[in-house]
Amino acid sequence: MIGDQSPGQIEPTAERRVVVTGYGCLTPLGAGAPASWSALISGQTARCPVSVIPVQGCRVTEGAQAQIPPLVGFSRRRLSRLSRAVRLMLPAVHEALAMAQLLDADGFCSQPYLETAISTTACGMEMGEHFLQSVWNNESRGRLALVAHYQAQQQILELQRRFRFCGPSMVVANACAGGANAIGHAADLIRAGMADVVLCGGYDALCELVFSGFDCLQALSPTACRPFDRGRDGLMLGEGAGFLVLEEAEHALRRGARHHAVISGYGHSTDTGHLTQPDQGGVPLEKAMRQALAMANMEAANVGYVNAHGTATPFNDQAEAKAFHRVFGCESTRLSSTKAATGHTLGAAGAIEAVFCILALASGELPPQINLRDPEHLVENALVKLGEVAQLESVMSVNLGFGGSNAALILSKQ
Amino acid sequence: MIAGLLSYGVVCPGGLGVDALEKKWPVVECSSASGHRTYPVSLTDTSLQEFTEWSRAPRMRRSSHISYFLIEAARQALAGAPHIDLSRTGVVVSFFLGCIDYSVRFYRQMNKDGRRFASPILFPETVFNSPISHAVSILGLGGPVYSQIGDKASWASALRTAECWLRNKTADNVLVISAEEFDPHELDAFEAAGWLKRGNLIPSSGAGALLFSRMHSSSIQISNLSDGNVFFSRKDGTAAVRRGLSSLASDCPVLACATSWTMELQREVIPSHRLLAQPNPCVEAFTVSAAWDTIRAVRLLERDGELSEIIVPFWGLAQQFSAAQISRRPARLTP
Repeated sequence: MIGDQSPGQIEPTAERRVVVTGYGCLTPLGAGAPASWSALISGQTARCPVSVIPVQGCRVTEGAQAQIPPLVGFSRRRLSRLSRAVRLMLPAVHEALAMAQLLDADGFCSQPYLETAISTTACGMEMGEHFLQSVWNNESRGRLALVAHYQAQQQILELQRRFRFCGPSMVVANACAGGANAIGHAADLIRAGMADVVLCGGYDALCELVFSGFDCLQALSPTACRPFDRGRDGLMLGEGAGFLVLEEAEHALRRGARHHAVISGYGHSTDTGHLTQPDQGGVPLEKAMRQALAMANMEAANVGYVNAHGTATPFNDQAEAKAFHRVFGCESTRLSSTKAATGHTLGAAGAIEAVFCILALASGELPPQINLRDPEHLVENALVKLGEVAQLESVMSVNLGFGGSNAALILSKQ
Repeated sequence: MIAGLLSYGVVCPGGLGVDALEKKWPVVECSSASGHRTYPVSLTDTSLQEFTEWSRAPRMRRSSHISYFLIEAARQALAGAPHIDLSRTGVVVSFFLGCIDYSVRFYRQMNKDGRRFASPILFPETVFNSPISHAVSILGLGGPVYSQIGDKASWASALRTAECWLRNKTADNVLVISAEEFDPHELDAFEAAGWLKRGNLIPSSGAGALLFSRMHSSSIQISNLSDGNVFFSRKDGTAAVRRGLSSLASDCPVLACATSWTMELQREVIPSHRLLAQPNPCVEAFTVSAAWDTIRAVRLLERDGELSEIIVPFWGLAQQFSAAQISRRPARLTP
């Protein structure tokens, strides 16, 4: 299956290093990576009453919602038809492409052919919800626009249309591990010699079906999201988008693009025990983490910081704490979950958290574990305190998802 | 493709197994969810004994038909290659709509009974990767697992993922599967999209699976793949299809598998003498149809000594066009 690269073919080489030349995010903490990072590092949380979707009747009505900046270059009519998911995605992609020097003077992608690997769990779900309502309420007007903006390929199409590029698009839906999978897959494509540059990341918007789904599972915290706290009582749903431009190192060098990190390891595994609950020993997650370390040819002690999945559900954090303890032991590796601040952004989580990892690598500042009162003993000494700094050479980002998806990424300075 | 195609599995309206692809499939009238009118549909029989058996597995008791279709197709493909190492076997699943049945049921329930009273059992089954999670658990597969989504053309993306894993030796074998179930709301959606206007799209359901291996060669291979031929409007479609076909063999036969508005594109771009007819034209299960068509092409090459290559187009109705060139020639194994 060769010949699918355009223009020309790319020959696989023995060593193809994958570097990050651009990144961007839109989170409930802020529009753009600097704003999100600044709020994160100062220990803020975005928790607030949810107003962008109807949540009346739910047990929990708080979450983390993003403020979407005005989108330029769209007519009012077209803007009104874009799903919230697309409106979250476009600013994050713009930031990533701009940083990678892949935008021309008119704000379009300077590469007309650009491969994408993108994660989502809910696509443009609010469009699907409105469509079902229209069928049940016998309202046929406007259905085409709803149908035309619901599915994942429509969001990718909007992205390609806005930035004027084409190319293969891979949309991974591995639940909450999908964002990390999208980045890992992009790196895999480059390592395999199947691409030189890939735009990758994830997006998800708050929507009624998913919010109610987590609420009826009683997985949402009625109080505060407290990852790795023994009194944790559930997660906080959020929304957002995170995107990275990955590039083969020589390719980046040739065009003079600066690299901000190296994707040095990627591991993924499937927990086959239960659809929603992770293995309580954290064994499949450990496998993914060790795979990533093996790919990076790295000892666990070389990883200075781990951005945990840390949803703050009783089951997730217990499994993760055990896996973390076995892999990193009592070494100096620091640990925190940023979901207490941003909320759980589902298909975007792995990508947003990878962006935070790059910022930690660059600045040496560590995202604090907020909302902590009574820490889990296994990881008590590893949890990051407000204001901590460290000399980091490599960091790990870990994600788990429904269906047993586990993913671990290692990002390094060199 | 840098791997051998070992085997395949089929769940379709004609029944189970690859021979069912050649049968004439039943077509029945089905009312749309709004009840405005009926449309022809061609659906996999959900009462088959095999599905009942799968539904008895403790993990599968609460799952919907899409999981049964998927696991049955995967089982057939694995049965065709009993010697492979399951712990080194990965899975890529390609969905168009995924778990539509439970998604609609869950959303209806929360609207009818109140948000907090929707079933916590239904919700996890609405997640795209639930069906493959069940299948991987029951079949004992230990390799990487991705669920991918998109229009029919995204089948090519699933094949690329398989190639990537095999090239990087992330897995020794990869199952590429697609599965779809049916819900009458689809008829309202497809009607709104204008896909049902001329009666040349008959919604369908089922599954298809292909098993590739880098450890074994085979006489049939996917020799070339054209992916990422994007169109922003139907008007752009012609250029996207021409671009997509230009990187493939220009003279070999093409499987006729367009439906709805892309039938016109097919007529416009591909000369009729190159088209290979299908036993069930217009039946559309999206990424599943792409899997069925890939398997059909393989079967044609296996049976017909005159044919050495076939192009299988994947007519995405919404975003892009892709195509695979399938050839009968010795496979080249990864160095």
